[in-house]
Amino acid sequence: MPIELTEVLQTVQMTEADAFDIRTVTLGVSLRGCQSRDPESTRQNVYDRITQTAEHHVAAAEEVERLYGVRIANKRVSITPAALVADGFSPADFVALAETLDRAAREVGVDYLAGFSALVEKGATPGDDALIAALPEALATTERVCASVACGSTSAGINADAVLAVAHAIKGMAERTAGRDSIGCAKFVAFCNAVGDNPFVAGAFHGPSEPGAALNVGISGPGVVLRAVERVGPGADFGAVTDAIKTMAFKITRAGELVGQRVAERLSQRLGREIPFGVVDISLAPTPADRDSVGAVLVAMGLGDVGAPGTTAALAMLNEAVKRGGLMAARHVGGLSGAFMPVSEDQAMIEAAASGHLSLEKLEAMSAICSVGLDMVAIPGATSAETIAGILLDEFAIGMINDKTTAVRILPVVGKGVGEWADYGGLLGRAPVMPVSDVSNVVFARRGGRIPAPIRSLTN
Amino acid sequence: MPADVRALIDRIASALGSEATPERVERVARAVLDARAPSAPGRAPAPVAALPSRPASGATRVVVTAYGLDRPGVLAAVTAELSASGANILDVSQKVLQGYFTLVLMADLSAGTDLGAIRDGLQSRGEALGARVLLQHEELFQAMHRP
Repeated sequence: MPIELTEVLQTVQMTEADAFDIRTVTLGVSLRGCQSRDPESTRQNVYDRITQTAEHHVAAAEEVERLYGVRIANKRVSITPAALVADGFSPADFVALAETLDRAAREVGVDYLAGFSALVEKGATPGDDALIAALPEALATTERVCASVACGSTSAGINADAVLAVAHAIKGMAERTAGRDSIGCAKFVAFCNAVGDNPFVAGAFHGPSEPGAALNVGISGPGVVLRAVERVGPGADFGAVTDAIKTMAFKITRAGELVGQRVAERLSQRLGREIPFGVVDISLAPTPADRDSVGAVLVAMGLGDVGAPGTTAALAMLNEAVKRGGLMAARHVGGLSGAFMPVSEDQAMIEAAASGHLSLEKLEAMSAICSVGLDMVAIPGATSAETIAGILLDEFAIGMINDKTTAVRILPVVGKGVGEWADYGGLLGRAPVMPVSDVSNVVFARRGGRIPAPIRSLTN
Repeated sequence: MPADVRALIDRIASALGSEATPERVERVARAVLDARAPSAPGRAPAPVAALPSRPASGATRVVVTAYGLDRPGVLAAVTAELSASGANILDVSQKVLQGYFTLVLMADLSAGTDLGAIRDGLQSRGEALGARVLLQHEELFQAMHRP
């Protein structure tokens, strides 16, 4: 069926005026089989595996960009959680491994490589503990390595020992990168119900049940959805708003599916072995660019600002509508697949936080119905590890009870307090330092052990 | 023949240069005129043209879009660049509204043609005339707008 003129112009408007692009094509690389008893040969095996598998990743993605005239904003690599490959190593060995990963990322030309990670939902091995201990040094001495720790799940409960250790690690990362507004923390995510096919950095890793390699895609599109909501106008009811979002979500997901399949095909041709296309992650992912904002979509729905009463409902509706359209458009939808709301990376969120309309507590409520939790939130550098642990526990409780992913990427900006700004530049944007409750939770945060899994985990 | 149609044919013939067979000039001119014809109220938007839904075997179908301030020569520049690349132009639609024009053109290129190089050529010609020119594989539009 021939393409209609209006359809051509709509696609052009998306790419030209609404900042539509493919946010990321992420090549997941399994590192299973790379471990040896000797840390140095393990590092060499890891380096060889990554550089051989991902050698053509950027070139294949650029070829597809040229073919379709659609920008692929980021080309990235995720790996098997490093703690699984280097279990038994010391923290110093893990720091050296991070440096190896950094070198591999530079060699294959990706700006970020994610998966310096540990999965400790139920308990930690000595290797997991060593990785967590190595995090501050590893993230301060590397540029391209991103890390994550899965601290809980609906089936395992929440590992409170790990949560406190991670909170101390976050403080350590902040201090080791104090000269750059604690940017080390921007490369680390703590999870509940982490997923192994998430293409979005910093929280990406190639899960243990994934194939040897897989190509996953993250779409973009807040600007496209914003225009759709603006077009239906203030008189449209929620059903009409849902329909408008759903229609756009279908189109941008189809573009993501096409690009993902073609990148996987070209990668396979260049590599001489099949790299399967994995999933499309249908998360709406904002950037600091004008109109490329999830917060602006919420405002367009009729809120005075993000944080106004109704914000959580608006986000829930947006999330559902995107899923309805996206699920129809892709063979396999996966990853996180929900709206992102990174405060520093979304212009409307930045403004709402700076004006005091958006609080940490409101963000927490919003995280109950979208894919990520507290993302790129700057808090005072003086915030204690116990307070950070309490924030993590709250987020993870929401994830555990609701059987959904929640995550925390929080930045205790050393030397800065409420009202000051953390400025990272580029895609990471800038964020006002937000106030945090100073009511003590020390006894609770240090109690340790594991918060039991909820009754809903017993589904058999 | 009305003067504006004569002028249009002259422009197309000049843009196509040595490629300007009578059949090809007529096909492009007809497509432009069809696109300019006012559509009946309430009618669904017309397809760009009644084209075969798939390009000929071994060909890559592309959609070229240009927009900017209305200045003479953009259609000529775009078609000249495409002709130089051996493109078979299938359809052209051009609209001018309040001083701004939009041009949408569909063409088949030989398989294996370097789309990036043609895109660069189109963009530099467009920039010289104050127009933004895009070239995209037709498959993108099929994926986004067809179930």
